[in-house]
Amino acid sequence: MSTKKDVKKIREAVKRHKRETYTPVSPDMQMGFVHNNVDCIGCRACEIACKDKNGLAPGPRFRRVQYIEGGTYPDVFAYKVNMSCNHCASPACLPTCPTGAIFKRKKDGIVDIDSTLCIGCRRCEAACPYGAPQYDPSENIVKKCNMCVDEIDAGRKPYCVMACMMRVLDIGPVEKIWDGSLDTVALGPLDKVSRQVKNMANIELTKPSIGFVAHSKGKLK
Amino acid sequence: MKRYCLFLTLLLLSMSTMTLWAAQKSGEINYNQARWDPLHFQPVIATATNDQCLSCHQEVLTREVLTKSPAGVSVKDTLAWYQTLTTYEGLQKTFHQRHLTSNLSIKLMNMQCNTCHQGNDPREQAVVPPNHNKSQYTLRKQVNPEICLMCHGAFPDNIVMGLPGPWETSKDIFQNNCLLCHAGIRSNRHQVNFLNAEAIETAGKENSDVCYGCHGGRQWYRIQSPYPRNPWPGMAKEVPEWAKDRPTESNRRFRITKQKTAKK
Repeated sequence: MSTKKDVKKIREAVKRHKRETYTPVSPDMQMGFVHNNVDCIGCRACEIACKDKNGLAPGPRFRRVQYIEGGTYPDVFAYKVNMSCNHCASPACLPTCPTGAIFKRKKDGIVDIDSTLCIGCRRCEAACPYGAPQYDPSENIVKKCNMCVDEIDAGRKPYCVMACMMRVLDIGPVEKIWDGSLDTVALGPLDKVSRQVKNMANIELTKPSIGFVAHSKGKLK
Repeated sequence: MKRYCLFLTLLLLSMSTMTLWAAQKSGEINYNQARWDPLHFQPVIATATNDQCLSCHQEVLTREVLTKSPAGVSVKDTLAWYQTLTTYEGLQKTFHQRHLTSNLSIKLMNMQCNTCHQGNDPREQAVVPPNHNKSQYTLRKQVNPEICLMCHGAFPDNIVMGLPGPWETSKDIFQNNCLLCHAGIRSNRHQVNFLNAEAIETAGKENSDVCYGCHGGRQWYRIQSPYPRNPWPGMAKEVPEWAKDRPTESNRRFRITKQKTAKK
């Protein structure tokens, strides 16, 4: 191997590299979450298990149980929409990252972040339509859910899923979640899976890998 | 015991009243007062000035990114693919700084805090009752990503544009010059109050990276924004198939009061 630097060649390579666009990863299989909005009791055990696993202080929340309550007596309602990172098919966070800290795994489509490469510019946090990347002010960097890749690689399920006492949260191949064929107790025999619920950002922006059993008041018409 | 509890309650009440009175007298507001200030909600937020917002949120412009990542990667050595465009200058900054105080943003844009931030209700994680027509309220997001989509959408359909492929693969055929075609294709571009339309036209003539910067060069989202077709002199009455269902003017909030038309 020549140690002499070919400046012309290097310049040409740099020029070629410029304005190259980001090419999205097409995973061999896409994993996703499923959440039953109706049967979730909002105990937040999943949030706490996640914080425990990831050593998070009170601020950042990788998993967020969102309480939607309203109506006028007697027609009142309450349901929960539970989201962490949706491991989108076209993640918006990924192309924003200037250091390459965020990446999508080819084998299962999990969007992971190597926070040791993060410089805290918070672009990913702004770009994500679902609020997944979480800024940790104590370290001035961004962290996010990685579906507990270490657990997945060990053949187990993420901490949030294992902590769910109502068994309303689960993971699986997202196509199976959407067509209702996933073998999980999170889905009842007559439940229909929706890809979007009310007040959730447009799913065409990033194609999130998540399915919900929507509450009657949370269904999109 | 009862008397003691009553005394303690009265003492606490008087102390909190005095603290509140002292704070009001000194002009200071506490966190909760600030949080519920009408400025954070519609309709007042629509008229909020940057100075008003920055009087409390100054840190969005002063906060520095790390000089080195925890693993030791220097910010000087890190560039995203979109940061290799010739229009990108300077070291890594936060997105607020890039939108509000970078040279390029000052030259080409007129972004205000409330261009993106439309207020939200801190009590609610969605509007109650949840209503998808009010899509500006999204679960737990401070800004509706549809606003970001206007500049961070995908490159327009290259088939419609008559290109052999996406711009990054076919730019050389067109001498990396958007105006080679778009100088002749009339339209009334960038008619929104957060962009300097004339400055963009001038800068686009000099360097097509300026155009590409928004039209595909920073595409966080894989769909394109349905840009409104503001009428221009000599515009054909028939709407082409690809432009059907496109709006003919911008969202009311972004309209320029005295709309300029493109020069013929």
